[in-house]
Amino acid sequence: MQLLWPIAIITFKEGIRNRSIYGISLLALLMLLANFVISGMVAQEVSKVAVDIALSAISFSGLLLVLFVGINLMAKDLDRKTIYMVMAKPISRSQYLIGKYIGVILLITVCMSLLSFFAAVSLLLIKFGHPTFFQRFSWLMVGLSFFFTTLMLILVAALSFLFSSFTSTSFLTFILTIISYIIGMSLNDVKALVEAPQSVGITVSPVTVKIVQAAYYVFPNLSLFDIKLQAAHGLPVPVTYVIGIVAYTMVYSVIVMTMACLIFRKKEFP
Amino acid sequence: MISFASVSKEFKEGVAAKRVRALSNLTLEIERGQIFGFLGPNGAGKSTTIKILLNLIFPDSGRATIRGMDVCDKNVRRFVGYLPENPYFYDYLTAEELLWFGGKSSGMAKSAIVERSNLLLDKVQLLESRKRPLRTYSKGMVQRAGLALALIHNPDVVILDEPMSGLDPIGRKMVGDIILELKKEGKTVFFSSHILSDVERLCDRVGIIVGGQLRLTGCVAEILKGGDTLEDAFMREVHIAGLKEVR
Ligand SMILES: Nc1ncnc2c1ncn2[C@@H]1O[C@H](COP(=O)(O)OP(=O)(O)OP(=O)(O)O)[C@@H](O)[C@H]1O
Ligand SMILES: [Mg+2]
Repeated sequence: MQLLWPIAIITFKEGIRNRSIYGISLLALLMLLANFVISGMVAQEVSKVAVDIALSAISFSGLLLVLFVGINLMAKDLDRKTIYMVMAKPISRSQYLIGKYIGVILLITVCMSLLSFFAAVSLLLIKFGHPTFFQRFSWLMVGLSFFFTTLMLILVAALSFLFSSFTSTSFLTFILTIISYIIGMSLNDVKALVEAPQSVGITVSPVTVKIVQAAYYVFPNLSLFDIKLQAAHGLPVPVTYVIGIVAYTMVYSVIVMTMACLIFRKKEFP
Repeated sequence: MISFASVSKEFKEGVAAKRVRALSNLTLEIERGQIFGFLGPNGAGKSTTIKILLNLIFPDSGRATIRGMDVCDKNVRRFVGYLPENPYFYDYLTAEELLWFGGKSSGMAKSAIVERSNLLLDKVQLLESRKRPLRTYSKGMVQRAGLALALIHNPDVVILDEPMSGLDPIGRKMVGDIILELKKEGKTVFFSSHILSDVERLCDRVGIIVGGQLRLTGCVAEILKGGDTLEDAFMREVHIAGLKEVR
């Protein structure tokens, strides 16, 4: 732990000072600003629309954060050989990777807390303007949704670490991470579709079903983290579900990071 | 102190590309307290040798040890300082934070880090720019910061890959002075360089490597005794090796 900390700190500092962060934050603020305009126009179900937009804005900005800052932190080390100075210290390759990951988790947590705060303020103002539509609105659910989004990003970041442990360019890591994100997001729907194709009147070959089922167990099921609907409608989420999501994130990240470490241990930096 | 026992390394670039034998059967011994200059034309295998010493790449065969410990043991690097060739550090960190990282990850106490980092930054003439992000540094300034980083934990073995490259005459003299100072403190220094006059002035022993093969090792005094300059010796070895082109 004593050795992980210095790496985590410099990773965090390097990330938080990155100019892309300003761009991403600005984009998030613009989306939240647009929320005022849009919720002023819909004039019905304002709370649902406003919550949905605010949460989507946050998760989208968070994804940009992981893709453009998170991946870069790792990739630049390999591309530009900054890793030489780290590996010249009494630090093993696994410790390096884990320290780096802790730094990225720190970065995601801090940025998401900040963005969530802005989103909450925007919701508060909209609520103030349209009090009648916010009867079933629950702060708890909105907060939980922010939390789940953060967990999802931490999981996606772990995947990006796995990819960068075996790819040779950061571009490939970037592409693989996006693909995994898209698959992870749609997996639930696709699985439901191919397992009961008659409901929409299509036929699916058994091979496809097998492939989708295999993918279901390999890729993270990211739609589990999406509780925008519940948050928008003020529906409750059971405590066991929350515990399950936290456990899922932890177990999945640990497995992925272990694999990344095993690959990274054999890696050369010529 | 530093020892190579028939170390070989081959690079395979791409799937079908031909292999490059970057090092063949390197056997070399460097005593404690020695300043060893590593010479050779471009692509001779100097950086490869140094990267093996830092466990950045693994030898195909043979073994490299420092103080009797295999270099793949991470604890070796507690007493090793390293300056990569063309070093590149984090964009948004300052020199001060870079040295903090170097000290902290070597297990130094906070007060010791501050004291030593001020001393070293003063020595490499970066004390005034220590709070600026490294992104704003010139090439030579980055090189200087790298040198301070290599020395922050007061290592017994200092490995420098072309420490003078990119430095102005004052900077070159500064590096020379630092190396001589390290010698006075009884440290072992292993450095590669293309600047023969510096090597002649600083080193106890030199090794000349051409095409991955160590052609000559010897005391500087002995090589110079026959009336040869170091340049003569260098040219002769490259000529005998029959090197036509940089690989
Ligand atoms: N990543 C790599 N992939 C393939 N070949 C490589 C790689 N790195 C080095 N080589 C080859 O290994 C040989 C030795 O390279 P090395 O970098 O050790 O040379 P050098 O002596 O440090 O040269 P210079 O004086 O230019 O720094 C060269 O022929 C080079 O082409
Ligand atoms: Mg070199």
